[in-house]
Amino acid sequence: MRKVAIYGKGGIGKSTTTQNTVAALAEMGNQVMVVGCDPKADSTRLLLGGLAQRSVLDTLRVEGEDVELEDVLADGFSKSKCVESGGPEPGVGCAGRGIITSINLLERLGAYEESLDYVFYDVLGDVVCGGFAMPIREGKAEEIYIVASGEMMAMYAANNICKGIKKFATTGTVRLGGIICNSRNVDKEYELIDHFARELGTKMIHFVPRDNDVQRAEINKKTVIEWNPTCNQADEYRALAKAIEENDMFVIPKPMETDTLESLLLEHGMLEVA
Amino acid sequence: MSITQAPKALADQTKVPRSTATKSTSTTNACRMCMPLGACLAYVGFDATVPFLHGSQGCATYIRRYLISHFAEPMDIASSSVGEAATVFGGEANLRTGVTNVARVYKPQMIGMASTCLTETIGEDVPGMIARITHPETGLAAETGQRVPNLVFASTPSYAGTHADGYHAAVAAVVKAHAQHGAETDSVNIFPGIVSTADLRHLHEILDGYQLPHALLPDYSVRLDGATMARYEKLPAGGTSHAEVAASGRALASITLGGLVTTGVELAGDILSTDFGVEHLRMPLPIGIRLTDTFTDRLAELSGQKMPAWLDAERGRLVDAYIDGHKYAADRTAIVYGDEDLVLGVVSFLSEIGIRTVLAATGGHSGRLAAELAAVNPGRNIEVLDDSDFEQIEAAASELRPDLLIGHSKGYATSRRLDIPLVRVGLPIHDRVGAQRLHHLGYRGTQELFDRIINTLIQVRQDESAVGYSYM
Repeated sequence: MRKVAIYGKGGIGKSTTTQNTVAALAEMGNQVMVVGCDPKADSTRLLLGGLAQRSVLDTLRVEGEDVELEDVLADGFSKSKCVESGGPEPGVGCAGRGIITSINLLERLGAYEESLDYVFYDVLGDVVCGGFAMPIREGKAEEIYIVASGEMMAMYAANNICKGIKKFATTGTVRLGGIICNSRNVDKEYELIDHFARELGTKMIHFVPRDNDVQRAEINKKTVIEWNPTCNQADEYRALAKAIEENDMFVIPKPMETDTLESLLLEHGMLEVA
Repeated sequence: MSITQAPKALADQTKVPRSTATKSTSTTNACRMCMPLGACLAYVGFDATVPFLHGSQGCATYIRRYLISHFAEPMDIASSSVGEAATVFGGEANLRTGVTNVARVYKPQMIGMASTCLTETIGEDVPGMIARITHPETGLAAETGQRVPNLVFASTPSYAGTHADGYHAAVAAVVKAHAQHGAETDSVNIFPGIVSTADLRHLHEILDGYQLPHALLPDYSVRLDGATMARYEKLPAGGTSHAEVAASGRALASITLGGLVTTGVELAGDILSTDFGVEHLRMPLPIGIRLTDTFTDRLAELSGQKMPAWLDAERGRLVDAYIDGHKYAADRTAIVYGDEDLVLGVVSFLSEIGIRTVLAATGGHSGRLAAELAAVNPGRNIEVLDDSDFEQIEAAASELRPDLLIGHSKGYATSRRLDIPLVRVGLPIHDRVGAQRLHHLGYRGTQELFDRIINTLIQVRQDESAVGYSYM
């Protein structure tokens, strides 16, 4: 079983990318489980066709300790298995602890079946506290992909996440598998992220071009592959899935100093644009 | 006092019923203690080990105070003293400083670490911290030049389990970290669970009686019930040795006494069975004749020895006592509460002597107590209240009006308000001396329990009688 976590700056398209990639992996015949680790509980919407399932933590709150696996696990597109950790309303409680509680519960309930080929953790925003680092602790996720774009703040966030991965990689089994570029049509974006990834000691595993078909599929509450399997963007996600399937480059990242990161941006022409 | 209400039949004998609808949303005086307390108790049963809590100082203080009051022995528990800043930035620096200090001051063989609610909630990665502390090049030994004790860790947030769960999690952590493979020995691992120091000593005696080489894991009988020393010792001697822990992976068999834990908590015996192929048998605490027979039969089988004469004589005297005391015990009723393992043993014993348990209450939530009670006592419908507090137990007691309460001293207030006598067993006993010397296990422990229970019943009859009642 490959255990994958997807990190990246908020709003970068982690959930969209994860679900579309999972759809492609499932289409290839893989048994995949997605664990949404975001209190908004919107990591599996496209796979489930918008069916908002009850999150693990809500179920725990309502049912008490007697939670059954079928209460929290729903079947999505192409037999993918979908779980949402859920969490508190914005501004209250401790969402980080929620992730820990949820993953512990899933383990206890035996959600991690031997027959699974992949488990994907889709994790909120940055590594903001100990709880959000849970998926990369204790070998729960072993390979990380960071979704980034050529925008400066996305790269800042990705670099910051690498600091977290490095910390856990030196005492555990987690490794960085690559950077997924989710294009924002920034100038020279391909070269920039490619260089950025190499600087981190990893690689750009795939460049996902910007395409409005993604939005069209989302409005229909579907992954691109389900919505229109023959469109160009569906093939892009298939290519990303294939690259992940065949990936054998797993590294301890080398996060950059801020100066290095900024000079990288300058080198790839940000100054000219300004 | 007469029986006013027959116990209700359990709808499903295999599953503990869910708490009644009257249960308040809050817990008032829980019938359990916290998970790190159990972990600390287990750790002091290993030789030259200092318990160490990763969390705020108050956790260590509460647990020290609680255990000292029960055992009347010094109880040092280290703390990483996580305050506001460490809560915000993570407590790794505190933990590292704490380990350095404990290593320097106590020079222990092992530091038994456990987490607390605070550090679990903020997601502290203690295994990662331990890996960094013990790193050969960048770790503490390289930095300070001093030997770093063995560090073991159990995850023990109180909201995940009870003190009994914490105890078992700590024992499992020690065994997991230090058991070793090798040629099988003829020794038996006994995981005694939370019992008194007198019980631990008696277990040694019984096992020696069968000439069975053994290790009790853990064994706090010396450290928590020692003699007064002329000079105060920071780290008192006694406990399961490191060599015994290492050898547990090569043992002939393991026996876990009790071991009713919340789902998700591993038992050391199961780890030894899975990872080392050591046969594991779980059985209830040997309380009462039947359950002690189960235990001694197993020891006879493992050792190839007959029951030693002195033990056989104790058994015989106990049977005699049952007969002699039966007129006092017959048709009496009791509410038994406390740790699930102890409740299972005591209730099964009571059913042998004619005392009917009208409620078996526990703060534990393994969900298996009702089924195990039914298995040991077929045909008796014993009502079980798990995950309970004393508000619930008192409400039930005031309705059921049993002749006796049997449990730890947290039930004293209930006993006093309802004027129902309390026979103190288990942990904690804060309002009597000698908790550490109480026997519960074996024929001898049962004999002691029997005498105390019968004498309490006689005392009530005497107190109720207008003329006083005596033989002469």
